[in-house]
Amino acid sequence: MSKVNIRDSVRRTEDIRFVSGQGSYIDDMNADGQLMGVFVRSPHAHAAINGFDKTDALALDGVVDVITGVDWAELGFGVIPTNSAVKENADGTPIAVPERPCLAAKRVRFVGEPVAMVIAETVDAAREARELVEVDYAPLDAVTHPVKTLEPGAPLLHDGIDGNLCVYWELGDGDATETELAASDHLVTLELHNNRVTAAPIEPRGTLAIPDTETGVTTIYQATQNIHALRAAMAKILGLENDQLRHVAPDIGGGFGGKNSLYPEPVVTVYAARNLCRPVKWVNDRSESFLSDTHGRSQYTTVELGLDVDGTFRALRTTTVGELGAYCGTVGAFTSTGGSARTQGGVYAFKAMHYRARAGFTNTAPLDPYRGAGRPEGSFQIERIVEKAARELGFDPVELRRQNIMPKTSLPVKTAMGLDVDCGDFPTVFEKTLAMSDRAGFAARAARSVEVGKLRGFAIAPYLECTGGMPKEHAVVTFSEDGAAHLAVGSHSTGMGHETALCQILSAELGLDMNYIGFTQADTDATPLGGGHGGSRGMELGGNAVRQTAIEIVEVGKQIAAHQFECNVGEVDFEDGSFFQPGSNNTMSMGEAVAASFNSEALPDDLAPGCLNIGSTFERGIISIPNGCHAAEVEVDPDTGVIDVTDFWIVDDFGTIINPLLADGQVMGGVGQGLGQAILEQAVYDGDSGQLMTGTFLDYAMPRADDMPPMTLDYYEGSPTEKNPLGVKGAGEAGCCGAPPAIVNAVLDALKDHGVTHIEMPMTPEAVWRSIHET
Amino acid sequence: MYEFNFNRPASVADALAAVADADDGQFMAGGQTMIPVLKQRLAMPSDVVELAKIDDLKGIAVDGGTVTIGAMMTHSEVHNSSDVASAIPALADLAGMIGDPHVRNRGTIGGSVANNDPAADYPAAVVGLGATVVTDRREMAGDDFFVDLFETALAEGELITAVRFPVPDKAAYMKFPNPASRYAIVGVFVSQSGSDVRVAVTGAGPCVFRAVAMETALASDFSADAVAGIFVSGDDFNNDIHASAEYRVHLVTVMAKRAVAKAG
Amino acid sequence: MPSVSMTVNGNAVGGDIEGRTLLVDFIREHLRLTGTHVGCDTSQCGACVVHVDGTSVKSCTMLALQADGCQVETIESLADGDTLHPMQEAFREHHGLQCGFCTPGMVMTAVAMAKENPNLTESDVRRGLEGNFCRCTGYQNIVESIVAGAKAMQG
Repeated sequence: MSKVNIRDSVRRTEDIRFVSGQGSYIDDMNADGQLMGVFVRSPHAHAAINGFDKTDALALDGVVDVITGVDWAELGFGVIPTNSAVKENADGTPIAVPERPCLAAKRVRFVGEPVAMVIAETVDAAREARELVEVDYAPLDAVTHPVKTLEPGAPLLHDGIDGNLCVYWELGDGDATETELAASDHLVTLELHNNRVTAAPIEPRGTLAIPDTETGVTTIYQATQNIHALRAAMAKILGLENDQLRHVAPDIGGGFGGKNSLYPEPVVTVYAARNLCRPVKWVNDRSESFLSDTHGRSQYTTVELGLDVDGTFRALRTTTVGELGAYCGTVGAFTSTGGSARTQGGVYAFKAMHYRARAGFTNTAPLDPYRGAGRPEGSFQIERIVEKAARELGFDPVELRRQNIMPKTSLPVKTAMGLDVDCGDFPTVFEKTLAMSDRAGFAARAARSVEVGKLRGFAIAPYLECTGGMPKEHAVVTFSEDGAAHLAVGSHSTGMGHETALCQILSAELGLDMNYIGFTQADTDATPLGGGHGGSRGMELGGNAVRQTAIEIVEVGKQIAAHQFECNVGEVDFEDGSFFQPGSNNTMSMGEAVAASFNSEALPDDLAPGCLNIGSTFERGIISIPNGCHAAEVEVDPDTGVIDVTDFWIVDDFGTIINPLLADGQVMGGVGQGLGQAILEQAVYDGDSGQLMTGTFLDYAMPRADDMPPMTLDYYEGSPTEKNPLGVKGAGEAGCCGAPPAIVNAVLDALKDHGVTHIEMPMTPEAVWRSIHET
Repeated sequence: MYEFNFNRPASVADALAAVADADDGQFMAGGQTMIPVLKQRLAMPSDVVELAKIDDLKGIAVDGGTVTIGAMMTHSEVHNSSDVASAIPALADLAGMIGDPHVRNRGTIGGSVANNDPAADYPAAVVGLGATVVTDRREMAGDDFFVDLFETALAEGELITAVRFPVPDKAAYMKFPNPASRYAIVGVFVSQSGSDVRVAVTGAGPCVFRAVAMETALASDFSADAVAGIFVSGDDFNNDIHASAEYRVHLVTVMAKRAVAKAG
Repeated sequence: MPSVSMTVNGNAVGGDIEGRTLLVDFIREHLRLTGTHVGCDTSQCGACVVHVDGTSVKSCTMLALQADGCQVETIESLADGDTLHPMQEAFREHHGLQCGFCTPGMVMTAVAMAKENPNLTESDVRRGLEGNFCRCTGYQNIVESIVAGAKAMQG
């Protein structure tokens, strides 16, 4: 492998260690003299704590320390912070943010909330001691339903927070929307539930904290997606300076948003290590993951669509109830408010839109962004109401969409939600997807399904996406004298392949050999500046930061070349890895420029050795607008309700595709999680006891290989964005937006002759069967 | 898990003695049930007596009208056995539906039968074929063996050595799996031997049972239509987030129809 | 304390261990072969799959003592120095992994599958992966990798 280009499907560098079992994930890491920590977690959904007794636990052989919630309170450290982009209610009052301790001292508010940490020489001793920590709980009534928690009489979670309400928020023009809806010839309404799920990466969370008693610096290895912000947050909680903590993420076994949050366990682990002057390692087991990882989605929504008699959309009003869980997560009130509001209306033109959201606290694990972070909810809402409108009013679902999709000529547009949609060709993407799905052959396939006692359905679901995450990113390139390069970047891959894709950009820009580009991410020492991961920012921020750095390197390189060519800098060009002076024989390869950059005799006076080692910060002006279209065919067994997704087609507009192979992977993974939400997954809490009913993979249904349809993918690059120099539109979360509505609507299409108009997700076999037999 | 003494006897007699002598000894076959239970700290045996080294517990013998499967035969071995496949293909088929490929490489028929998990597959075959459970001290009819939720007729310290299946004229197993665990939400094993028909249902209730009304109907007309209108009582059926009792009642009839059709 | 001895990746290994030591913990903690991973506690995810006497097993659901006297092969046994095994190469070629955490279990499962049936079809593979979870890929490229790897293994 030598120089590669953008748009090459370069095979991944990191695969060599991953397929060989040489990856280094948090549980693979060990430090000399390390202690093992486990957390005591509340078995109650809601309870007062009247006291702890750790005597028996401490007496066990091998146990070094037990930190209870009361101990923690006495240490006087800070609380887990929230950084909510939505800070105010619709009336300007501040949202309610309850205090969240790292270890609960007086009250627990969800099953799994940590109340104590046991630290021992071995994990077996720690687990045994865990059972000996006595906690005097006085159970309280619990409420786990997001709508019920806001009703009068619901058990109150936090003193001083009335009615368990965190936030009430609006976006759009309520009056105009009401006027348009009232003036509409047709008004279609749908109540729907976006089910609560959990990210469930195959690797659970963990932390290894290694104190250096000489320097006072603790090195924290953590399975996280967000080393910079979390380092600062942990330092603040513990009353330390940032530079007393070095935060490093090793190889990460999947994140999907769940590893972006600030959790209490790493903070207590860091404290324990510093206090005991020994490394402390804690890793969750899977049951703990289910209890304590942040969950995602969860909205109960009423959608109202106003249409003209000819089917033209006029207005959309969405009224939703989300939930926070027992406490605000790291992004606070954002997901069900701003997160879901921005892409309301999808790719369709609307005169007016209005979005209203309330979200409250429930005795459940805190919720935070999960792949898509509000946009899948928004896509689901619009595509379901459009489908319902078609069925109810006698329009063809494809035609109704076609007539309302914003044409290319109407862009750029600021939607009624205030989203800047700069470019896109939604109709072309829609038609391209439709063309891939062989509509002409559907009737024959449907007939064959009937012959074997099944029902076949089809649906198409365009989606509108927008990106997010921290808007700045920093990349640094360091050369060595032999011409090898090292790229350090502040963005963070947890499986997406940045190690390859970002080096690919550098190779393409500078003509470097991929085999000689090293890569570092996720280390506050080696990458002190950066924005981690989130909001599909990898190529949009990380990629552009790399490109910008490369361009600055070329500028300096031109000065080195000009010095050698003895010409003006302005006469030097750079192409295909070479500097040259047009109209002469003067050339200098990138490698020669690198060698020269270490030799002061080869450099002009104003450059010093190492001058090609350059770092650059890229700042995004505005988020990009990925978009696309999913289509699905399904077969439903009416006798059992089992759904088989038989075919799936996707066309995406992600702007410039840096590496098509990797982009495919992101799309297919997202579709997998979207299918999971649609037909398999749900995090379920018992209404009375507040126990998590889906606490293992025995009850939380993960998609398997035989659940997935064959997926056919294509890209549309005819609508480049100028929002960033690379022209990329973040790809990673899109799969979760299109898949659930495509699959749900396809099932409803299959069952339309049985009078089924709605089934909630997940569409379990029983849910489907009941919908058929109860109409 | 809690610590225990690990025993690896080479004979049935040694295994029995090891359990009898222990404070709280338990046999371990493939460990696919026991090890997860130990990991959850739900059991604390003083001694685990592992049976993998006992040759007398291995082997498959076909003799006239019976197939005898040693208690320690793994699900993979039963599934891949050409003897089982030709004598009782429904049994080989069922074995291939248990768990996943890795679990099948370790899990055993003896372990499954002794455990009597309400969602296990083998109990449906044992009852569905009228098999005999052979232990170190006696033989028991399959119909008498499965007593209640996780409870069998085995006495304390009694060890299953083999299961003996009569070869039917025709048989089939249909399983409706839980989408998460892939255990049976409902599994129906149907067999016909001469004028005898058996319909054994697992997954739906606390313990495998025979759907007697279906058997009667099938005895005079072995066809899917014969059972299409027959529904078992779901009074003691399992009811959880994956399937209500009512849905399971419905599934029993659907799976019975499909099993009859599959049996040919 | 009982003692155990087995062959792991061709090397005779052993030691005194507690009876309750799982095979996966023996591999990861005692032998420091950390390629085999733990992803769940109900024996479902398959991240821990290794080969014992030639068949695939979930090493989290086996005691180390049960593997006494056995031949154990982990992911680390496949490559030949710097040369990847054809199945490993296939996973890389077909982008059958993203975060890599499920990958060792997937590859070991794939090799076992391919040894049993060199002419794997797509549906053979999908069914054969019932005991392996991946959260990243949506499985399509894993299936492609395994079909291709099985062919490549035939040489």
